[in-house]
Amino acid sequence: MTDTQWPRYEVFKQDKPHKPHEAVGTVHAPDPEIALQNARDVYVRRPDCYSLWVAPESAVFKMTAYELEQDPAWHVEEIPPDAPPQTYLVFTRQHHRRSMVAASHVGQVQARTPREALRRAMEQEAWTARPVYLWWIVPQAAITASQEEDVPSMFAPAQEKTYRDQSHYGGIIFGKHLQKKRQQKQKQPQEKQERSA
Amino acid sequence: MNATRPLPNVGMPEDPDYEEKLAQFEARIARGEKIEPGDWMPYEYRRQLIRMISQHAHSEVVGMLPEGAWITRAPTLRRKLILIAKVQDEAGHGQYLYHAAESLGVDREELIDMLLAGKAKYSSVFNYPTLTWADIGMIGWLVDGAAIKNQTMLAHCSYGPYSRAMVRICAEETFHYKQGKEMITIYAQGTPEQQRMAQDALNRWWWPALMMFGPHDTDSPNTPVLMRWGIKTKSNDTLRQEFIDEIVPEFHAIGLEIPDPELRYDEETGHWISGPIDWDEFWRVVRGNGPMNRARMAARRQAHEEGRWVREAMVAYANRQMVGDAVGVGS
Repeated sequence: MTDTQWPRYEVFKQDKPHKPHEAVGTVHAPDPEIALQNARDVYVRRPDCYSLWVAPESAVFKMTAYELEQDPAWHVEEIPPDAPPQTYLVFTRQHHRRSMVAASHVGQVQARTPREALRRAMEQEAWTARPVYLWWIVPQAAITASQEEDVPSMFAPAQEKTYRDQSHYGGIIFGKHLQKKRQQKQKQPQEKQERSA
Repeated sequence: MNATRPLPNVGMPEDPDYEEKLAQFEARIARGEKIEPGDWMPYEYRRQLIRMISQHAHSEVVGMLPEGAWITRAPTLRRKLILIAKVQDEAGHGQYLYHAAESLGVDREELIDMLLAGKAKYSSVFNYPTLTWADIGMIGWLVDGAAIKNQTMLAHCSYGPYSRAMVRICAEETFHYKQGKEMITIYAQGTPEQQRMAQDALNRWWWPALMMFGPHDTDSPNTPVLMRWGIKTKSNDTLRQEFIDEIVPEFHAIGLEIPDPELRYDEETGHWISGPIDWDEFWRVVRGNGPMNRARMAARRQAHEEGRWVREAMVAYANRQMVGDAVGVGS
């Protein structure tokens, strides 16, 4: 058995209710429960977090716009006639800006395979109005989610640790202010002498 | 790289379509697109990224040691909370980076094994000792300040996962820098003993911090290819000069002296020109003969061994849950 190379889980973090879950990175863990704990320690040392999902990285079907372009037959596959439809969550990335998020949750589709799910997703005009550079398709059944009752123990403590935020150190005196203060300090003893004289 | 698992054998210059693919790849970078894990990339791009990202990850992990040593000796509860939070962040940053490296086809375990075997490089600055409490403030301001310069540049990197890890790290690292700046600013105006400690810390960390930007451009063989492919957007010397120009006036403002008798302000160019860096010392430390290289690796190995029972317990728990699920216990 390996020592630390447990399965990888993709981590999806939701900052606030009604905001989309966003792909923030991966963790290693021997099971989904520990994956959620590790995800909390690695990706939620700061506010805000309302909900975390983890899904085995191997269950996430990823396609870039470049890959789709390079392989026009990407969607060709044989689907067994008895394959049951299931729910797939769809994540996209639609910009090249600097960001800490790989892809954001846009919705879900019913399909029998991840490729079929991607085809269905690409038919949704609302999701493709702007170019999509990254598609992630995640079977809903593969997701383990934190619960609302986990919020106070898992995510709320970060709210109080304001010293983790750079704005906590806003009051440092620098530069010209400080030079003035130093000059005043040097002057003061002289003034005192003058007064006593 | 001595990776035990061979990297994907694609993007080799001898491939028949290499030139065509390379032209597409470079055009994408020129358009400001991010390269993602599934995309075609030159083998050399992949190799350079794994080299850089893994060294960076190791630096975060080893970087916990010089500061962690002072957690039990923090002078106030506030300083202790801040230092614990900072060291936790470094652990998290190491993880972001190992995971960015894994997206290129290496395993975290291989990388960690290479570090523990003493075969991997990490930032040499962590091979210097933290002798007084003021070193904690000076590391935050000076060492993390230098790191942020580099990381802000890398946040623009053409490789998506590395860029995203850097954006996340920069956002968190700014607190490390600010708490150090706050501490040193207070000490520089404090008692004569505090002022002496702040100056002493600057004396010892100044040169190692300047060395963090790496060898001069003329001695940095990787730089041209890294800049051509948008991994780096500025050279070592450019970043180092920007850093010096920003930080020298700040130290002067709080009354600390830079330990460089040749440092001078060049009116014509508006730059602070530093004296020569002792590259013999740099290479001595890189090659494993700095003051703390052996102690750092010994501490890492000890931590890895002493954490083994936790990892075993997690696996045992996961296995028991699986057996429980299979026989319907607890469902």
